[in-house]
Amino acid sequence: MKSLLKNAVFKFRRLSWRDPAGLLAAGVLLLGLSVNAVAADKLKIGYIYPSPVGDVGWAYELDRGRQAIEAEFGDQVESIVVENIPEGPDAARIMNQFAAEGAKMIMLGSFGYMNDGLKLAKRYPDIKIIHASGYKLADNMGNFQTRNYESAYVAGMSAGYVTKSNTIGMVAAYAIPEVVGIINAFTLGAQSVNPDVTMKVVWLNSWFDPSKAQESARSLIAQQSDVIFSIYQDTPSVVTVAEEEGVYVVNTSSDMKKYAPKHLLGSMQISWKNHFIEQTRAVLDGSFKGIAYWGGMAEGAVSMESWSDDLTAEQVAALNAKITDITDGKFHPFTGPITGQDNKVMIAEGETISDPDLLGISWLVKGVETKLPK
Amino acid sequence: MTGFKIIPRSQSSFLAQLLVPVAAIVLTLLAGSVFFTLLGKSPLASFYAFFIEPLTSRYGIGEVLLKMGPLLLIAQGLAIGFRARVWNIGAEGQLLLGAIAAGAIALQFELSDSVWLLPSMILAGTLAGAGWAAIAAFLRTRFNANEILVTFMLSSIALQLLYYLVSGPLRDPMGMSFPQSAMFGDAAMFSPLLSGTRVNTSLFLGLVATLLAWIFVQRSMPGYKLLVSGLAPGAAGYAGFAANRAVWLGLLIGGAAAGMAGVAEVAGPLGLLQRNISPGYGFAAIIVAFLGGLHPIGIVFAAFFMALIYVGGDMSLVSVGLPNASTTIFQGMLLVFYLACYLFVNHRIQRQVASGTVASAEVGGSDADHTGSGATGHA
Amino acid sequence: MLDSLVFVLAGTLAAATPLILAAMGELVVEKSGVLNLSIEGMMATGAATGFVVATQTDSTVAGFAMAALAAMLLSLIFAILALGFLASQVATGLAVGILGLGVSVLIGKDFEGTTIKPLEKVDLGFLSDLPLLGEVLFAQDVVVYLGIASVVLVSFVLNRTKLGLVIRAVGESPEAANSIGYPVLLVRTCAIAFGGAMAGLGGAHLTLSYTPLWAEGLVAGRGWIVVALVVFGTWQAPRIAIGAYLFGAVSLIELFVQGQGFAIPSQLMSAMPYIITIVVLAAISRNPRVVRLNYPASLGLPYLRSE
Repeated sequence: MKSLLKNAVFKFRRLSWRDPAGLLAAGVLLLGLSVNAVAADKLKIGYIYPSPVGDVGWAYELDRGRQAIEAEFGDQVESIVVENIPEGPDAARIMNQFAAEGAKMIMLGSFGYMNDGLKLAKRYPDIKIIHASGYKLADNMGNFQTRNYESAYVAGMSAGYVTKSNTIGMVAAYAIPEVVGIINAFTLGAQSVNPDVTMKVVWLNSWFDPSKAQESARSLIAQQSDVIFSIYQDTPSVVTVAEEEGVYVVNTSSDMKKYAPKHLLGSMQISWKNHFIEQTRAVLDGSFKGIAYWGGMAEGAVSMESWSDDLTAEQVAALNAKITDITDGKFHPFTGPITGQDNKVMIAEGETISDPDLLGISWLVKGVETKLPK
Repeated sequence: MTGFKIIPRSQSSFLAQLLVPVAAIVLTLLAGSVFFTLLGKSPLASFYAFFIEPLTSRYGIGEVLLKMGPLLLIAQGLAIGFRARVWNIGAEGQLLLGAIAAGAIALQFELSDSVWLLPSMILAGTLAGAGWAAIAAFLRTRFNANEILVTFMLSSIALQLLYYLVSGPLRDPMGMSFPQSAMFGDAAMFSPLLSGTRVNTSLFLGLVATLLAWIFVQRSMPGYKLLVSGLAPGAAGYAGFAANRAVWLGLLIGGAAAGMAGVAEVAGPLGLLQRNISPGYGFAAIIVAFLGGLHPIGIVFAAFFMALIYVGGDMSLVSVGLPNASTTIFQGMLLVFYLACYLFVNHRIQRQVASGTVASAEVGGSDADHTGSGATGHA
Repeated sequence: MLDSLVFVLAGTLAAATPLILAAMGELVVEKSGVLNLSIEGMMATGAATGFVVATQTDSTVAGFAMAALAAMLLSLIFAILALGFLASQVATGLAVGILGLGVSVLIGKDFEGTTIKPLEKVDLGFLSDLPLLGEVLFAQDVVVYLGIASVVLVSFVLNRTKLGLVIRAVGESPEAANSIGYPVLLVRTCAIAFGGAMAGLGGAHLTLSYTPLWAEGLVAGRGWIVVALVVFGTWQAPRIAIGAYLFGAVSLIELFVQGQGFAIPSQLMSAMPYIITIVVLAAISRNPRVVRLNYPASLGLPYLRSE
């Protein structure tokens, strides 16, 4: 059916503008053909990303998840990808267009698509939706997140090893719980090997502002930071500044070794591969349920890549040992005693934070100098 | 000199006014087919997605009407000012202020089910939009500050104000610190107009605005006469009183309409305040106003057409796989051709057999007039 | 502390350069009586073109040259519409701006999020090694100095040369300029083309030196800040440059202050340049003499040559 449509369209390309009758016929034929030209045997999956896919970063990793689905299921699936859609009222239109094109599974790549996604889920019970980083669920709408705090803790340890000024600078997007959790875990990790470390944070209030991210990194370097932590910046902006200025850098989402071959300390890689394949299989065999997925090291959703050669063998061994402990469930980064910025004990000795508390975390640990934006 | 000469018409050509949009569309289609072919996409499939596909389903039609609402409303308001040469290019900011005011009320009375909630939001939003524009009117009439620049810069300030409010005072306390407000209650929302679509009763605001604008312009109400004469070059432009009235009237009407459109967005498809409220309606409406020849009826068609391209552009991303930027370029082309064709509404082209000599002596006198009025009109 | 000072000062010089380049172009355009609001689109086109060409040819010079050319071509569309077809300059500027943003995305599509080796910083020997002064003034890339040179040059040409006199006369009253034999349309077309080229260079400085990477939306409203700067500087080149430096400094100090742990709403800082510009605009417009001195009286008005 699809190829028929393509064929028809291809033929029309050769029609001349000077041939009104032919054009009219073409138009009528197209009208007839276009209505739900769905291939019955294939699962159509719509993907909507908030930013351009590019070379690294958030949308790039989502797209790698899509590629994993295609590699796994081959001819059983067909993808429709739309990138760079702002989280405004227009996103709903794209989702509905997926539905009109016969998509039975939709991946929503950003928090801001949540409410429109929920409306879509209610309207089309037969369409299965998976949504990145939201918190609302339906029978046919699940969401997915990674336990980035696990890798952040280990990355923080590496930063604690290499810093000489004991000042670490962070360039962060928004002060949402996920980012706050990452900052805390990174700080706790650094303090575990170097108790004197303090953190400075610049809040960008944007997922995507390469030049401001760079200016922020430079300002942090000027304020004695010798390790920069780039949190959720979708371009290699911060990483390239660090390489240029000769300070270490840790980044999230993708491995950015090629942008800072000398000074990348390590990358907190995320991978949606396993989860996406699992969910697609569930849609294909009819067992899909809207679940909240929170994948960590144990699930293969987060990992550390490209440790710097400047770390000593003992340090790398300690880092890898910690990774093993986290993967095996023997260690949780948020294990008390943990003190907040105002010296209050937030998690008592021997206790571990609960998942719901961590999902809504809105306080910073002691050692982070910057306050949360009000 | 070339063999052609542009001559002003004593009266705008009605025929040209009708033909200009048609010619612009035809030219855009021609250039567009080259453009889409270069992108490796079928022009016919692309045009189908842009112009026909949105109208083949109930949902699609609903989307076009939904998109048309704010464009229509804002463009009607702006056109009244534009006719009087009051250049309000900051409708985007006035829209945001309307959205903020309405949103603040909706959030304050989150649990209210009063039938007066939505009307008071509309009123507050309209006033807020007009109020934001009033800053520009005040600075223009009092300090002579150019309103193009002031309205534009007020838009940038409005955006920062919105960012501040949604990440601070108006942020949803239960919303995981994401920079957006809580959802509005049902009483704060426009009710749906067509089932299975997102179009809502706020569309009537645009239609009422059209009717009012038409009466205002066609019936040549005293206010309108004053407005147009106030800043017309060569007329009583130096009479500061009339000019000031025109600036106030032009900006307030435009601001009020934009503010109302902001209410329609947050109390319609959005249902909350967030950083991303308007996909550039305020700027697109400027284009709509011109595309409609600054005429209330023309603007209805222009708004519909513009909405169609927007919705069709979104659909083409999915159905033809066009890149996101192609919608932008397509719109840009349409405008460029339209603006070129518009020359013929107020001018005609005369063919000259031989190049004549320039009678420069006569020109000097009329120049002085022009310069004088130009300065008062703009400085 | 010294590091911080260097960061703010050296950063300001670099951050202001794209703004200054584009603003010098727009100044000449406005002095000739034309309001071109499409700077954002022209800068984006220049940014993408410069990046793609420099990546492909390995030549930064070629990148800058093609950036200027691409943006100039775009500005000529504006010129044809606004001058030839007498279209509203406001509407045309917006339309061409939209076109330029779209074109930039298409040009840079395959290069989204990629980086390039930044333009080399100059090395002036002992001068560059001077503490503070050297790092701030003598260790920038060459385009930063070109930006400063353009301020001097534009200021000189506009105020001290016959060419400048013609441009100003055309902007003051095209009818009068025409009557004494100046080619109004030619002057305006050249001014617009110059403005386009400068906006293209400004955009290219972003992608080839400042950032240095290409990403959609990278220009991030700088084109509009340029429009504001020209007004802020009351149509005088040196004041516009000062405005650009102030703007650069304010946005950098904001980040610095954040790192220090002070909490000023960043939105207020972001809105500050616009608020200040409105205040300045009101203050200067109030005094008709100042306005008449520098404001191009025919700014934004269509001109039809009468014979």
